[in-house]
Amino acid sequence: MSAPDHAALHTLYSEHNGWLKNWLRARLGNASDAADLAQDTFIRVLTARNVHAIREPRSYLGAIAHALMVDKFRRKALEQAYLAELATRPERLADSPETRLLILETLVAVDTLLDGLGERTRQIFLAVQLEGLNYVTTAERMGVSVTTVKKHLIRAMTHCLLLTDD
Amino acid sequence: MAQPLDYRTLEAAATWYVQLNAKQPNEAQLQAWQDWLGKNQAHAQAWARVEKLQRQLGNLPADVALPTLAGVRARRRAVLKTLAMLMAVGATGWAVRESTPGQAMMAELRTGKGERRQVRLSDGSQLELNTDSAVDIHFDGEYRQVHLHRGEIMVQTASDPAARPFEVQTAEGRVRALGTRFSVRSDDGRSQVSVLQHAVEIRPVDNPLLMLRLDAGQSAHFDHQRISPAHTAAPGSGAWTQGMLTVIEWRLADFVSELRRYRPGVLRCAGDVADLRLSGAFRIDDTDTILENLSASLPVKVRYLTRYWVSIEPA
Repeated sequence: MSAPDHAALHTLYSEHNGWLKNWLRARLGNASDAADLAQDTFIRVLTARNVHAIREPRSYLGAIAHALMVDKFRRKALEQAYLAELATRPERLADSPETRLLILETLVAVDTLLDGLGERTRQIFLAVQLEGLNYVTTAERMGVSVTTVKKHLIRAMTHCLLLTDD
Repeated sequence: MAQPLDYRTLEAAATWYVQLNAKQPNEAQLQAWQDWLGKNQAHAQAWARVEKLQRQLGNLPADVALPTLAGVRARRRAVLKTLAMLMAVGATGWAVRESTPGQAMMAELRTGKGERRQVRLSDGSQLELNTDSAVDIHFDGEYRQVHLHRGEIMVQTASDPAARPFEVQTAEGRVRALGTRFSVRSDDGRSQVSVLQHAVEIRPVDNPLLMLRLDAGQSAHFDHQRISPAHTAAPGSGAWTQGMLTVIEWRLADFVSELRRYRPGVLRCAGDVADLRLSGAFRIDDTDTILENLSASLPVKVRYLTRYWVSIEPA
């Protein structure tokens, strides 16, 4: 990081950190979560390396913090759903904590990938990719043609590829 | 140097993936796909993302991930449906109980590929379903019956105060338990029975006068007409209840067709390597690892075209 970047970030932090923490606390109702997320927000700004390009610091910081908040809630909701699911499957209780964490991280990543897709596209993608159904069975289940299944799959796949890093 | 990929290139990669995954691609399709891949750097880069995505999805166990992702509503429905017929009994399994005493109990149980499930029936008997199996349970005042529609089960009967006979029915015939532990497998018009304790009696559906008694350590198979002679049960024939598959000097092709029971999608074994032999004890809960390790013990390579399209070829 160059010295001017460093200075710019320092300015950004000292001028807006207090505001951001208040903004977050108003939404989260909890000061320590708010402090954590404010910290994460500045880490995002740091790694994006574009401090100079920021024209409207508060709306930019607010947007990042909002995205982080959504991630946090999504993660929490998924974690609860995952734990509830595990509880109904005694044979999975033997999974190690590392395995569970890996699965949870992947669930969050996949859920984020599928976020922008329509409900039907998402269901078709999951039926084929996770459940391992073939296109004919998927088409029958969804009450659509095999051609339609393929169209939805191509759309879902392209969407996921756009969001996948090299 | 990696370049940003445009939408059309990614869509083309997605289209190839969806086409190749549709059914077993022929040589011409594979050649066309190879040509596309080699045509420019961006195509190869886009395909690398396809593979990365598949690896990521491969980390997810479908049984847990699907209901989690499918959302809370769908999950709650599934749980309620299961609970209507089953009642959990601690961490080791499920119990099936009559809703009111004396009323006939009926329940359907299914397992998906790679799934196993253990249930305790209302009389205290234990039932274990192997991968991709389906049973209906029907207990009334006179009989305790389990219909095995497909797949494989292990039964440990409990003695019944009402002395009702315990029977497993398959499309091919009936297996009556004589106070015992035994497994029944039914597929492709053939039923296979192995007895671990005590004895069972087998009767083919279209030949009710024919009966064979099998004792502990014995195994036999039957179709709707005939029963094979009793022979010594293969070692490890009940090992699946421990999540193991034990094989001794099996042909690779037979091993692969056994793995197919546990794994969704296409799993192919090339003719050139079909007759290779292998022995060992394998964890069937993790077919990916079995496939990964195959090339260490045999002169083969395992090629993943897609997550569900795997082919075993000469190295």
